[in-house]
Amino acid sequence: MNLSHEREDYLIKILKENFPNDIKDATAIRRSRINVTVAPEKIVDVALFLRDKLAFDHPTGVSAVDYNRESRFEIVYHLSSATNPDQRDILINLKESVPRNSPKATSLVKIWPGVENFERESIEMFGLQFEGHPRPEKLFLNDNWDGPPPMRKEVRFPTD
Amino acid sequence: MTTTDKPTQENTLGSPSPDEPGAQTLTLSVGPQHSGSGHMRLIVELDGDIILNAQPDPGYVHRGIEKIIELRNIIRSIPVIERPSIIDASNLNHAWVRAIEELQGVEPPARGQYLRCLLNEMNRIMSHLYWLSIYGVFLGHTTMFMWPLGDRELFIDLAESLTGARITYSYLVPGGVRRDLPQGFAEEAIKRTEYFEKRLDEYENIFFKNPLFTSRAKGVGVLSRQKAIELGTTGPTLRGSGVDADLRKDEPYAAYGELDFKVHTRPDGDSYSRVMVHVDEMRESSQLIRQILKKLPSGPVRRKAPIVVPRGEAYGRVESARGECSFYMIGEGGDKPYRARYITGSYRNMAAISAVLEGVRLADMPTSWWSIDYWPVEADR
Repeated sequence: MNLSHEREDYLIKILKENFPNDIKDATAIRRSRINVTVAPEKIVDVALFLRDKLAFDHPTGVSAVDYNRESRFEIVYHLSSATNPDQRDILINLKESVPRNSPKATSLVKIWPGVENFERESIEMFGLQFEGHPRPEKLFLNDNWDGPPPMRKEVRFPTD
Repeated sequence: MTTTDKPTQENTLGSPSPDEPGAQTLTLSVGPQHSGSGHMRLIVELDGDIILNAQPDPGYVHRGIEKIIELRNIIRSIPVIERPSIIDASNLNHAWVRAIEELQGVEPPARGQYLRCLLNEMNRIMSHLYWLSIYGVFLGHTTMFMWPLGDRELFIDLAESLTGARITYSYLVPGGVRRDLPQGFAEEAIKRTEYFEKRLDEYENIFFKNPLFTSRAKGVGVLSRQKAIELGTTGPTLRGSGVDADLRKDEPYAAYGELDFKVHTRPDGDSYSRVMVHVDEMRESSQLIRQILKKLPSGPVRRKAPIVVPRGEAYGRVESARGECSFYMIGEGGDKPYRARYITGSYRNMAAISAVLEGVRLADMPTSWWSIDYWPVEADR
């Protein structure tokens, strides 16, 4: 297996060239995995660039992570490419951080329709807000659920 | 069952004016019921018997697994992460150990890798057969319900002799697999896969060429290639729409890089295409089982791995029966992950349900959404 990071380095270079001020960090954490951290207000531009110029047209999921000790949530869009077979193995983790006391982000459903359910789950499980989300209703939880967002770190199991 | 317009004297008496907009649309709540695979509900809007819009309403089998696995050590979590899809347990198990091993930097021995693929391929057949039997039920074809469930036992018995359990194996552990092949396994497996391929020919005659099936599957529930990609679908659903994406080829893991197999696709994106992709994959998996047993290297099946998730992040993903199953794992150095995001094939394919059902007749609804291979428990987790 080819262990060089040529393709990954090339993608990182292009991203940094096009968004010199907006990309806080872009690294290949290993072969086929690239982490890109952007400022929340610039995520739409970077997302459009990834989809239209670099062919990352296939959303594979969205994760939210509660870093309560740092008072922030991290939202991670996992993206792959279906149309370009040469980069099918490459997964870009597009990350943004929002403050814990005001967890507002911009929805990317218009860019990748497939993220709709994942964003909905992050809304109910972490209490995040996605501006422009077409259906910010409960997905898995009951519609009348009035407890705290259950995936937050401070919510513990009774038996834990 | 409610009409969407205000109940006026005319239409409650059953004589709506056909010109009145919305006079004939009906919102129907289908479920929550056990539709063969765990509870779920579809909210369907109809004009006559044509579906205008269908929204899935999942969550009836949500177990909070992402929370549970944050609170247990990585070994105790294995039986838990298998639960969302017990008919495809080893593939989900594989995604879990891949994420852990990536953080630990542990590479299982070659024989262990082959045995993982062996159980994964057996699971793929078992899962597809279970799915096919429910598809038969939805068409009212009782034979197609009985046969696949009966033939599934061929592989369940094999899996039991390999792992000690019929469906939930917990066979894959960080560093390798729990135990080696029992005596006489290879001969028995070859016999059974060859017999199974003959059975698939019989399925062909009684079902896949049967107008009862073809007339209600060809051209029904079409998901275009473009839609399949932008909705993020995966597995047989994506391949049924003409995209040859398969992680076993695209990012060869375990022993798949050394095995010879084809990725099956169909271009049309209809219900028929998705069914036939499943059938082709079952033949391919039978072939793969024999190939794995022939190429199986000797040596140990397991290497020592610590019960620890080192600091860092990893994205472990595999091609499960219903598409890509992945764990986005963040470790802090303890014996449990700080966060383990669990994304399954069914969860991703849920996005395709509305797209597939739009414009379909109500009578074709069960088979159309079932052709996506959406497993409610696997989606809810």
